[in-house]
Amino acid sequence: MSGTVTSPDDCLARVDELKRQRARSPFLRLSAVVVVSGIVWAWLSSTPLLGRLPAERRWLNVKNFLNELVPAPVRQSGEWSDALPWAWNLLTDEGFLALLMTFAAATAAIILAGTLVLPLLPLASRRLARVDPFGLRAGKTGPLAAMFWRMIGPLVRFGFVLSRSVPEYLIAFLLISMLGLQFWPLVLALAIHNLGILGRLWGEVVENADDAPAVRAFAAGQGRSSTFATTILPGVFNRFLIYFFYRWETCVKDATVLGMLGLLTLGKLIALSKGFFWDQMFFYVLLGGSVIVVGDLFSMALRRWLR
Amino acid sequence: MKADTGKYGLKRWVGAGLIVAFVLCARALGLTPGGLIPPDAGHWERTGAFFAAALDPAFDYEDENVPDEADPIWWKGIKGVFLTLKFAFGAMSLAVPTALVLGFLGSSAWWPEPCGRRARALLRSVYLVSRLFMSVIRSIHELIWALLFLSAMGVSPLAGMIALALPFSGTLGKVFSEIIDEEARDASQALKAIGHGPVQTFLVGILPRAMPNLVSYSFYRFECALRSSAVLGFVGIETIGLYIELSHEEFYYREVWTYLYLVIAMIVVVDLWGAAIRRRLHTSTGGCAI
Repeated sequence: MSGTVTSPDDCLARVDELKRQRARSPFLRLSAVVVVSGIVWAWLSSTPLLGRLPAERRWLNVKNFLNELVPAPVRQSGEWSDALPWAWNLLTDEGFLALLMTFAAATAAIILAGTLVLPLLPLASRRLARVDPFGLRAGKTGPLAAMFWRMIGPLVRFGFVLSRSVPEYLIAFLLISMLGLQFWPLVLALAIHNLGILGRLWGEVVENADDAPAVRAFAAGQGRSSTFATTILPGVFNRFLIYFFYRWETCVKDATVLGMLGLLTLGKLIALSKGFFWDQMFFYVLLGGSVIVVGDLFSMALRRWLR
Repeated sequence: MKADTGKYGLKRWVGAGLIVAFVLCARALGLTPGGLIPPDAGHWERTGAFFAAALDPAFDYEDENVPDEADPIWWKGIKGVFLTLKFAFGAMSLAVPTALVLGFLGSSAWWPEPCGRRARALLRSVYLVSRLFMSVIRSIHELIWALLFLSAMGVSPLAGMIALALPFSGTLGKVFSEIIDEEARDASQALKAIGHGPVQTFLVGILPRAMPNLVSYSFYRFECALRSSAVLGFVGIETIGLYIELSHEEFYYREVWTYLYLVIAMIVVVDLWGAAIRRRLHTSTGGCAI
């Protein structure tokens, strides 16, 4: 501490001084300006905000719609107990099967994505994928190998950016027109998109991992991938699992919606009953939602255990 | 000790378990290696045409019936990008404030100490109800919210924005509450000790410190909102997704690629922008472990 603060004036002067010294970034300020102008523009340019329908008409639509959400048997009899056989019928008819398929597609996709990302991680790591990992010489490196190690990291990381940049719905839509209407397009679309996301999330965990064991292993003559597999991976395993389950949850939600392209997950049932049987559609929406809420509680418990 | 052996056991069996799970799922879904290639000549032809078009994106409309005075295709694409950005900005401007309120209610860092039994019970129930509420609104996918809103209110910009904003407020709110609870409590405890109320403690002692993490996570969700906004085109809201679907329906693959390149460019730019912001705020995307 240089100098002792004595009077309130000194205090204020010190506050001013600290304020002047705070870190300032023109880039962050510019970003804030861009974001705020983006928001203002978004609202100003969205006219008419509520669409072109007259207000009374819109209100009537909303009322009709809400009324149609009530299960048909209940609307006829006025008894909510009639909703049970109706719901059971929907479940056993296709609901359970769709739910099972949703889970299966999400699980297959996230496992596929994880399996594909794992071997790419040492290649994407900023400290491993270079001519001199951790600043240590890795024996003799020819000019070609040196070029490979200079290019591979940015390339793999850019690959991750690309694969997560296209929305999974769009990938599935395009793949269905190539591979036909079967589950591969759905699984592949989810896997490709999540490959990029897991690559980024797991990649960050690897970058932030403790270096010491890896440096020792590498200095003792292990190669890059075996250093990764034997010293880095075990240390970050639990964090990897946390991200894995987080993405799995998201996959379940996305797999539901991808069914809207015509494959039997809840999304297909939702899309088919849309417009004719709003009550059924709402039932499937609630079914999907409740599964996610249960999954959420489950993963909360799992995460607490892994931490 | 028991938990430790459990974790090591888990580590050992996770790999095997995942392989079994994959095989079971693949069987349930009817996935075969043969399914990875186009099933017949028609599909092969389409696939070939689609990828050939990647090298030759359209600079003019493939549809000859487009009138001459229509916007050139690249301009239409850029307009599509801006429409996509518009929904993402609009939705996030609704979602972030909502999420701040929900995140406040769903966190415990600001609770007064000491706190009477009844007050504590009340705070606890507010905490649980807001957490459950966040879980429910994010359990329904934005496309489904969009379907519901469009059916109820008709096509309108507001319907699209609210549809995106609802699940995003749920996700943001949950992560916000976790960020708030994980911040160091020294400042807030000092404030409480000299008599600050809970809201003051939150605004002065907790929020400024959590700000860098809140900002970076919000920006990460903005990237997600952009992707979702593009997909809203598939349920009839005018974003670039709608143009892709329409061109694809007519087999105008070169037009599809023009739009695809624009989508990819938009998202890559925002992704890099977000990474630069995180670097300057010294935060990571770690917050997305919701």
